[in-house]
Amino acid sequence: MDNMTQAWILLLAGFIVVFTVLILLIIIVTLYSKIVTSVQKAGEKKKERKKVVKIEVIEPTPTKTVPEPEENDDEIPGEIIAVIAAAVDAVYGEKTHKIKAVKKSRSSRSAWARAGVLENTKPF
Amino acid sequence: MEILQQLWKIICQLIESSGFAKLSWENYIMVAVSFCLMYLAIKKQFEPLLLLPIAFGMCLVNLFPEIMGMPTTQMLTEAEILAKGVNPASYTTTILNGETYYNYTEYGGLFYYLYMGVKLGIYPPLIFLGIGCMTDFGPLIANPKSFILGAAAQIGIFLTFIIATAIGYVAPDMGFTASQAGSIAIIGGADGPTAIFVTTKLAPELLGPIAVAAYSYMALVPIIQPPIMRALTTKKERSVVMGQLRPVSKLERILFPIIVVVVVALLLPDAAPLVGMLMLGNLFKESGVVDRINKTAQNELMNIITIFLGVTVGATATGKVFLTWQTLGIVALGLFAFCLATASGVIFGKIMYKATGGKINPLIGSAGVSAVPMAARISQKVGQEENPGNFLLMHAMGPNVAGVIGSAVAAGVLLSVLK
Repeated sequence: MDNMTQAWILLLAGFIVVFTVLILLIIIVTLYSKIVTSVQKAGEKKKERKKVVKIEVIEPTPTKTVPEPEENDDEIPGEIIAVIAAAVDAVYGEKTHKIKAVKKSRSSRSAWARAGVLENTKPF
Repeated sequence: MEILQQLWKIICQLIESSGFAKLSWENYIMVAVSFCLMYLAIKKQFEPLLLLPIAFGMCLVNLFPEIMGMPTTQMLTEAEILAKGVNPASYTTTILNGETYYNYTEYGGLFYYLYMGVKLGIYPPLIFLGIGCMTDFGPLIANPKSFILGAAAQIGIFLTFIIATAIGYVAPDMGFTASQAGSIAIIGGADGPTAIFVTTKLAPELLGPIAVAAYSYMALVPIIQPPIMRALTTKKERSVVMGQLRPVSKLERILFPIIVVVVVALLLPDAAPLVGMLMLGNLFKESGVVDRINKTAQNELMNIITIFLGVTVGATATGKVFLTWQTLGIVALGLFAFCLATASGVIFGKIMYKATGGKINPLIGSAGVSAVPMAARISQKVGQEENPGNFLLMHAMGPNVAGVIGSAVAAGVLLSVLK
C-alpha cells in the first residue's frame, strides 16, 4: 500500500472516529442533562411540598432562632444581628443550625486577618 | 615578554571560544528572526505569554548552542583526567585491555534538562490541566450540538494530511513522511499544546517550526478568520440572533468531565493524557471543593509550565533546523490547515443553520478551531458588525471548547495510526 492510499484511509478513519466520538458525547450529554434536570425538578417539587407543610406548623408558634433586638440593644444593633443571621444561613444552609446568641469577638486579629489565616491553614 | 605571550594566548583562547568564532550565518539569521518575534510579542502583543519566551529561547540557543547540549561521557586515562584539574576518585572507572579509564561526564545545558518536559510529553498535558481549570463547559452542556461544529473544524487537519503527503509525489525533495505530515496537519487544530504533544511523538525533528507556526497562526486568528467567515456566509446568516442558553446545574457541570474522560479514554486511549488532564482541571473548578489546587493549577503551575515550554520550544529552532525548505512548507501547510479548519467549521454552521430553520448563526462554526477564547471572540465581533445587538460569544464558546476536545481526539487518531 503506497503512502497516498494510506493517507486517504487515515482521512476517512479520522472523519469517522472524530465524528463518532463527538456524536456519542452529544447523545450522552443530552441524555444525562435530561436525567439530571428531571431528578432535580422532582427534588424541588418535594421540597416545595415540605415547605408548605412546615409553614403551616411553624406559623402558630414561630421559633426564636435569632435573639430579640431589644435584648441586645445596648450591645449589638438589630440590623447587624440580621446580617450575621443571613450570612450564617448563606454559609450553612437552611435547617442545619440554630443561632442561640451573638457575642462580640475578643480576638486581637481582624476578621480579614482571621480569614487569611483560615485560608492558609486549611488542610488539603 | 613571557607575560605578554601568556596574555596573548588567553586573549586568543577567549576569541576562539566566543560566539563570533563559533556561530554560523544561519544562527545570526535566527537571532534576527527572534528579534522580529519579540517585536511582535511586545509591541503588537501577539500571544505575548508564549511568543516572548519562544522568541527568547530561540535567540539564546542561536547565540549559545551549548545551552541545549546533551550530557556526554568520555573515557579518559588518568593523565588526561588529571590534566582537566579534577579529582579522578570522583569518577567511575572502566577497565579496557588491562588499562583503567575514567568515565568523565559533562552535564548537558540548562535547556536540555528543561526540554525533557517537552520530549517526554509532560508539559502539554499540564498546560491542559490549567486550561481545564479556566474553561467553562456550560455553553457546551447547554447546547451539546456544538460538538458537531467542534468536530467539523477538525476536517482541516485530515485534509492537510493528504496535501502534505501528496507534496512528496509532486516534489520529492520537499516531501514529508507520514509521521511528519501528521504533525504538520495538527496545526489545523489551532491548539498549541496538542500540536507540541503530537509532534514530540511523531516528528520531534520538526518541533521548532511546527510550534512557532502553530502559535503564530493562533495569534493571527483575528486576521485570518474574518475574511473566510464573511466570504462563506450571507448578510442574512450573519445577522441571526440566537436564543438564550438554558442555565446548567452544578451537578451537570460536575458530571461532564467525568463522563467525557470515561468515553474518550475508552475509545481513544492515545488522547487520554490530554483530555484526561483537561477534564481533571475542569473537575477541580466545578467541584468547588479544591479551591487552592484549582487556583494553583490555573495560575502558578500554568505560568511555570508556560515559561519552560516557551523557552525550550524556542530553543529547538536552531539555524540549521529552521532555515530549510521544509520550514517554508510547514508554514504554508499550517496556514492552509488553519484556513481549511475555519472554512469547514463555517460550512457545517451553514448546514446547521439550514437544518434548524435559521436558528443557528453559522459564524459560531469558525470557533470550532480551538484557540480558546480568541476564536469565539472573533465570531462575536463579526456577528456584531452586522447586528450590534447580537451577542454570539456564549454560543460560540460551545463549539470553541468542543474544538479543544475535538483536536485532542484528532490527535489521538493520528497518534494511534502513525506512531
